[in-house]
Amino acid sequence: MSIYQSLLLGIRSSADYFISTFMFGVMFGIAATSAGISHWYALLMSATAFTASGQFAALEFWQSPLPYGTIALSVALVSSRNILLGMAMTHHFDGHSLKRRITWLFMLNDPGVVTTYRLEKNVDRLGYVTGYGISMMVSWLSSTWLGLSVAGVFATLDLGSIDFAGPLVIATMMMLFIKGSKTRSTPWMVSGIVALILFELGTENYLILLVSVAAGVIAAVVQERYLRG
Amino acid sequence: MVDQQSTLIAIAMIASVVYLTRLSGYFIGLQLRHIAGIRPVLEALPGCAFMAILAPAVRRGNISEVLAMACVVLIMWRTNNVVLATGTGMAVLLFGGPWLNIN
Repeated sequence: MSIYQSLLLGIRSSADYFISTFMFGVMFGIAATSAGISHWYALLMSATAFTASGQFAALEFWQSPLPYGTIALSVALVSSRNILLGMAMTHHFDGHSLKRRITWLFMLNDPGVVTTYRLEKNVDRLGYVTGYGISMMVSWLSSTWLGLSVAGVFATLDLGSIDFAGPLVIATMMMLFIKGSKTRSTPWMVSGIVALILFELGTENYLILLVSVAAGVIAAVVQERYLRG
Repeated sequence: MVDQQSTLIAIAMIASVVYLTRLSGYFIGLQLRHIAGIRPVLEALPGCAFMAILAPAVRRGNISEVLAMACVVLIMWRTNNVVLATGTGMAVLLFGGPWLNIN
């Protein structure tokens, strides 16, 4: 399958996450208005950053004077899972020029990566993930615009109860990963257990992510060595 | 109120940081790919990252949040339908919350 056919497949496959992304985009538009960001700048942020969690993290510190260092660190920490997604795709983006890979990696997105595990071998992964990303971008921009437009209506509503929507969407991706990935379950189970222990010990969120992923990697390496004798 | 110039600088910075996270993981992976047996380790990473986020979120969740998560997992397990799973989870959060969460 050619890269452009794969790109179209990515777009066609993205309907499910188009809807959940849309929901977060509306919430971001409302939150950006509350933070005092003008419509065009909020849309510019959505178009250039293209990250729900990172943009929400930035809004937490949106006051004059802007604490650039704190915002950069906060965005980097919540976006650090992109590093892991990129690493997971290492063996899947071969056969393209470096320029194309560098450019198209802008569209790297969680559901696109997770759903590649279920694809036929002949699908071009870079094209598929990028197509998925294009669809997510359309959803993200249009919903940000809608959120900005209707922010006045929702200003008085308490959206606190849907804070947990983020983990729910991540859970859907985790289930797709479990069912689609051919990797063994030990690494992610170890990560989950270590994350729970660290949470109980009152560890900071970024350290929980860092240490529990490291524990999962160690488990994967040990298991791989054991299986290879 | 944040002025226009500061806003533009912040947006450029956020976009750069996020793009760098997307690029750096892939290029770190390229440096590691020659190691024998590394592929299953790299491909396990998204699952590890998701679990590192999910486990504490569920642990600190209230009754309606845990129930919403259980619904999502169950529906995904049986149907793979993301919209149905997320919609059900959201419905539990929005409508079940006032009934289930006893303060």
